[in-house]
Amino acid sequence: MIRLAHIGLELPGFALEDINLTIKEKDFFALIGPTGSGKSLLLEGIMGLMRFTSGTLHFNGRDMNALPVEKRGLAIVYQDFALFPHLDVTRNIVYGTRYHKISDPEIKERLDRLVDTLGLASVLGRKPHNLSGGEKQRVALARALILNPKVLLLDEPLSALDPVFHDGAKDLLKKIHRELDMTIIMVSHNFNDVMYLANRGAVIHQGKICQQGDITAVFEKPCSRFVAGFVGMKNIRPIGVKDGNLSAPDWALGIRLAAAPDNSHTHMGIRPEDILFEPAGNGPPVNRFRGTIAHIRNHGAFLDVRLETGSEVFDAIWPRVLLRDHDLCPGREVVFGFHPESVHTF
Amino acid sequence: MAEMDNMGRLFFILSLPLILLLTLPLIQMTTEPGVDMLMQTLADKEVVMAISRSLGYSLAAGLIAFAMGTPLAYLLARKKIMGKKIIEGIIDLPIMIPHPVVGIAMLSIAGKNHPLGRFLSDMGVQIMGTGTGIVCVLIFVGLPFYINTVKAGFESVPVRLENASRTLGAGPAATFWRITLPLTWRHMVLGVIMCTARAISEFGAIVIVAYHPMTAPVMIYERFTAYGLKYSQPVAVWLIFLSFALFILLRMMSRSVHQHYR
Repeated sequence: MIRLAHIGLELPGFALEDINLTIKEKDFFALIGPTGSGKSLLLEGIMGLMRFTSGTLHFNGRDMNALPVEKRGLAIVYQDFALFPHLDVTRNIVYGTRYHKISDPEIKERLDRLVDTLGLASVLGRKPHNLSGGEKQRVALARALILNPKVLLLDEPLSALDPVFHDGAKDLLKKIHRELDMTIIMVSHNFNDVMYLANRGAVIHQGKICQQGDITAVFEKPCSRFVAGFVGMKNIRPIGVKDGNLSAPDWALGIRLAAAPDNSHTHMGIRPEDILFEPAGNGPPVNRFRGTIAHIRNHGAFLDVRLETGSEVFDAIWPRVLLRDHDLCPGREVVFGFHPESVHTF
Repeated sequence: MAEMDNMGRLFFILSLPLILLLTLPLIQMTTEPGVDMLMQTLADKEVVMAISRSLGYSLAAGLIAFAMGTPLAYLLARKKIMGKKIIEGIIDLPIMIPHPVVGIAMLSIAGKNHPLGRFLSDMGVQIMGTGTGIVCVLIFVGLPFYINTVKAGFESVPVRLENASRTLGAGPAATFWRITLPLTWRHMVLGVIMCTARAISEFGAIVIVAYHPMTAPVMIYERFTAYGLKYSQPVAVWLIFLSFALFILLRMMSRSVHQHYR
């Protein structure tokens, strides 16, 4: 278990402040946040490449703060993979083995297994500049995994990949986590990747943790407007709550909720994919509105649709098939709605 | 080769005076003595000795710059050190100051009036009129070329590669040896060649510190003032050939460095 308590790190113009995190054994833990939020800095601090200015970092009860990078037993895969350009793939992969007292037969056995698992047999003699993005990533993973690290840190491992390699790389990371049964900490700004890979996570913004816990809970029950926006929630409006009753002064429409909101909540939001198109009027009996399509942004498999009803605006994500089946176009009048359970307050 | 467009032709015409300024005196100088004269000069033991000294002392200066300048270049490229800009300014100073001033400065600390001079004298090290003195001034004038080249080399290696090495278990020394050094050795070779090439041509500082043992530039000066142009030219031609060979090597190394990082 990795425990960070009251961690601080000060740099000119930026600081990590009072970071408290618990990462359990065998977690696939995601540190999520926008660019410049401090997530990579936190990862480098855990790795030992940056020194925390306050707080404690424990790994299975052992204080890690004083240990140099090379003694921490962690391995990192960088966004740009940081392969050594003067070494071929084999020498890149086995680079760290001499510092970990691994016997030659054991090195060979691990190398063969990783080459087989990661499909690297055809590139072993190549230098990194002759590899594709996906191959570079697999080499970087093999270089880290050959050391059997206690924890694998991944710094934006998918963002440098072409879309064609992206899904395959996600599957590979999932497979590694499942088969090697190891703890993984991944930094990412892409919530879709995180939803697929991670079981737990923390959202970080301006050097502070905004929310942490089960990744589905972060997705479904964001605790703040920032987190809600970051996990893709839209249709966010300020609300007032008094004695469990909702009032939305900026919203002329009556909205029904599944449960009484907490008195401390200040906003409500509805995920765009939860706003349903109801051509036959057989959707949810409440929270149903008639409106006009203001614009459609076609993303191929799905559509971003902006709906206007009176002075209100809703953003929805609908499957592309609706465009064909119902002849949707800007200016068209439609009926749409959402279930009371789809309205989240925070 | 791509055909030259109008802008290319204009730029060529504008460059022509400079090209002529560089090449005409050299062509005249190298063709004037004739092959017989050049071979006769090469048979002169004093000339061979002077050129050998120039080469040997310059190479020694280059190698000392490599041994001592490499750590300094690494510190300047990688570490936050107090007064870094001032140190960099001091390193660049020999490029700007007149070289006789370098010689005078060197003598001022090597003389008996200075504690360092007395200490060196007590240790049996002579600066004035010795090869040691010549190597000292050659390091002084050549060091900026070595430091700046190698510093640029260290800066071109991403810190992330060194960090990746550390995360794989290598300590700082192993990381330097296995990652940083292999990625910068071409810059070091370039730096040594630059420093050596600069040292070969040095005259102003050497003539103050050590007229003897005579190096090639001092011999050219002496023969010119004592016997005139005809006797100084062949020695100068051999020195030009030598410098030209060094710079051809430098260009080849530069290309190799470029290809390495492509």
